[in-house]
Amino acid sequence: MMLEVKDLKVKYGNIEALHGLSFNIDRGEIVTLIGSNGAGKTSTLLSLSRLPQPDAPKVIEGDILFDGESILGTEPHLLVQNQMMVLVPEGRHIFGNLSVMENLELASYPVRNDTQFIGETKDQIFSLFPRLYERRKQRSESLSGGEQQMLAVGRALMTGCKFIMLDEPSMGLAPVLMYEMFRALKELNKKGITILVVEQNAKVALDFASRGYVLDTGEIIAEGTSEELSANKDVQKAYLGG
Amino acid sequence: MFSTLLQNLFNALQWGSFYSMIALGYCLVYGVLRLINFAHGDIFMMACYFAFFIASWFLGNLAGMPGPIIFGLTMILTMVATSGLGLFIERVAYRPLRKKGAHRLYVVITALMLGFILENGNLAVLGASSRRFPDMFGKIVFQFAGVSLTNYKIIVIVTAVLAFALLNLIVNSTKIGMAMRAVSYDKFAIPLMGIPLNRIITFTFILGSSLAAVAGILFGMSYPVLDPYMGMIIGWKAFIAAVVGGIGDIKGAFLGGFILGFIEIIVVAFFPSSYKDLIAFVILLVILSVKPTGFFGVAKSTKI
Repeated sequence: MMLEVKDLKVKYGNIEALHGLSFNIDRGEIVTLIGSNGAGKTSTLLSLSRLPQPDAPKVIEGDILFDGESILGTEPHLLVQNQMMVLVPEGRHIFGNLSVMENLELASYPVRNDTQFIGETKDQIFSLFPRLYERRKQRSESLSGGEQQMLAVGRALMTGCKFIMLDEPSMGLAPVLMYEMFRALKELNKKGITILVVEQNAKVALDFASRGYVLDTGEIIAEGTSEELSANKDVQKAYLGG
Repeated sequence: MFSTLLQNLFNALQWGSFYSMIALGYCLVYGVLRLINFAHGDIFMMACYFAFFIASWFLGNLAGMPGPIIFGLTMILTMVATSGLGLFIERVAYRPLRKKGAHRLYVVITALMLGFILENGNLAVLGASSRRFPDMFGKIVFQFAGVSLTNYKIIVIVTAVLAFALLNLIVNSTKIGMAMRAVSYDKFAIPLMGIPLNRIITFTFILGSSLAAVAGILFGMSYPVLDPYMGMIIGWKAFIAAVVGGIGDIKGAFLGGFILGFIEIIVVAFFPSSYKDLIAFVILLVILSVKPTGFFGVAKSTKI
């Protein structure tokens, strides 16, 4: 197992957001966490990213293991610097006052001495998302939502991490752009990137991922392959519109 | 008439230089931490004292050295000492609060208290008597067209402009400057790029404190009487200057300092000098009420 989450309980202040979550991900997989608004999807990813409070909730019980070792005490930037995992956060959080190119350069900090990797990754990003190349000198604030999402994914790739977590990459995107985004992610997965994606749009997520977990008010209520979950009557009723 | 104007222009530029260099320190820290570092005026005061002790030591022990060399050495050592103080404050006061996710109100209160601690600590250690800043190299007075200009005034203005040019270069053309700009826009995402936020904050405090150090030496040379409360008023004024210029932008803070310098000198030229602060601040208030984001400020959170 690359990532193993064991009985994770987290709190925001006094409010428990996750009540004992367990799931795991292997290298090379695409896994999805689906669930409605407030189910705890974002809390899960923020806990995994180890961001400090109040940006992320506080872990009060359980453990998060990466390659068998606990990362509970690891500082967030070290997770990325050591090429373990990187989060593409909800709302993208691009640096709007920097150009597209500057955003990518900043994200290459963990691999700053590997100019070959940086060059190749930039090429890869621009071939995946040609729009970003067209806008590379533009202030990234001026990009459309879809382009900003592309940039956020591009930044994650620049860090050199081989495990990428995405929080609602489809949010606010027109359907065409959304499918383009998932196609790009699938392509990255074929090149060896492991993906954990959190989605409200369960149908799209299950089409994309090979395996999934269904999250409801801080607990996992169903898990299985995408086919199993898509066939599950309860999941259909609650998340796939009957 | 013309010579009076020119004379006032130089005075305004000199005071503007002091305000600007201090205002930049407020601006930098605000940019990365969204914290108004109210201790900054007292960091400037401490810089004056550091410079006083360092320069006095050099003049006592390296007698015969040319003034400019002593000035240069004093400058470097004062920058180091003041940066050390700035970093110490960051480490023991601000960082623990940040780690606990404290509300910004507590952080601002902490900054205010630190200012008082520096003032009163200085008073306790060095006593109430004010000190005279040593003369590192002779004051030369130039007279032309009825205007009297000292070499000190020229050094102040030139140094302030050079310091700003250098800072501008760092912020806009280096990797760490890029990271600072990124932090000012979105602090949340910085660790997600693998970048240690604390390193950028440390660097920012070094820059801000170094500018306060430069201002401290130049101020001490120009107005050589030091006392523990000297940083309070000038610090507040510089802070106001930064806000009027647009605290989110180093250009704004820099020009804000000069705007304040000019307003003060103009007021003094036409009114009794006891009206100076009254009228100057009324003018600043009017400016702010017309443009609450400051001259160069933008409503959106594009800062630094």
